[in-house]
Amino acid sequence: MGVFDYFSSAESKRAEEVRKGAVAPDRSERKRCWEARDSFYGCLDKHNVIDSLNGDGKKTAEKECTAENKQFEQDCAAAWVTYFKKFRVADYQKKKTFERLEKEGANKM
Amino acid sequence: MSLSFAPSATSKMLRSVVPKCQQQAAAVAAARQSSRRFLSTTTTARTQPCRPTAAVSQRCNSGAQQQQPRRYKHKTVEEAKSRYRTGPFSWKAGALFVLTGGGLVWYFEFEKQRMQRKRVAEATKGVGRPKVGGDFELVDQNGKPFSSADLRGRYSLVYFGFTHCPDICPEELDKMAQMFDLVEAERPGALVPVFVTCDPQRDDPATLKTYLSEFHPRFVGLTGTYEQIKDICKAYRVYFSTPRDAKPGVDYLVDHSIYFYLMDPEGDFVEALGRQHSPDDAAKVILGHVKDWRGRIKQ
Repeated sequence: MGVFDYFSSAESKRAEEVRKGAVAPDRSERKRCWEARDSFYGCLDKHNVIDSLNGDGKKTAEKECTAENKQFEQDCAAAWVTYFKKFRVADYQKKKTFERLEKEGANKM
Repeated sequence: MSLSFAPSATSKMLRSVVPKCQQQAAAVAAARQSSRRFLSTTTTARTQPCRPTAAVSQRCNSGAQQQQPRRYKHKTVEEAKSRYRTGPFSWKAGALFVLTGGGLVWYFEFEKQRMQRKRVAEATKGVGRPKVGGDFELVDQNGKPFSSADLRGRYSLVYFGFTHCPDICPEELDKMAQMFDLVEAERPGALVPVFVTCDPQRDDPATLKTYLSEFHPRFVGLTGTYEQIKDICKAYRVYFSTPRDAKPGVDYLVDHSIYFYLMDPEGDFVEALGRQHSPDDAAKVILGHVKDWRGRIKQ
């Protein structure tokens, strides 16, 4: 019991450190984080939300993707969560811009 | 002189041997004197009337016929003509043509690619252009001093990043490990993979060591003071956004350039490899430059 307790507390301590950004996540922790991010993205896709940080998107995301968001925040560093949420918006806008430019007849370099 | 003399001697000899032919021989001699071209025609004219018996004539004829196949390989005119039926084209000529053509095309392409690489490598070397790269004094992941001099004599692939990097750096480092393995397989020891942190405050040698060991045991991880890192980033024209005095316990991310810088054994910048290059493409580019290098590369 004591040993298990020690291990589990060490594990949760490490997870806490990763979340705070005190230590850099290792490969498996990164993988877990990316999986949590993808499932969160999947939920946002289902509800047509791009920006989960502002306005209506935030409301919908909070209402519909609570579980995914919680997992996302648990498995990733806090800074990463914000980064990925912003990245989703930036990436979408980039895609839109490319589409618009292509429609306007811009050439790919 | 000798031309006109020889036929008259023959005609004298003919006259003495066969008196019946005297008249003809005289005519022959006269004809010979006029032109060399008549020599062959007069020879035939000479032998035919002078034949004393049928037997001799037979022997003469058969002798001439036996000699003919020896002079020409073909029995009939058609056969002789058929030798040139295909003209100068045969499978041998065709094979030679294809081989030579293929060889020339290959050589042309090879040279073209070499010139292309040379141009890329030299475009950044030119006088008066902004120089990428430069001398530095940093610390490696084992806590030992590591300077730009340690990279001389080999190609180096320099990548800037930080251990807290959320998505791009780990992907790129995995790519870098693959590139390095591909290059290493063909030219062992020719390339040194270098990771320079842009976040010296959090990335001490020990952190770098654990982080890089997940990607490749041969990676060299470099860190230093904020000023040192700022200098090397400036030298490599790397943009980075690390806060100078980040408080401990405050998490932040670093925005930075994500190119691999290929440096030659003299420390000069060769080419930047970006995200558009797959590990295979990048390894091909690097190997191309390594093979072009005329100087010595440390083993």
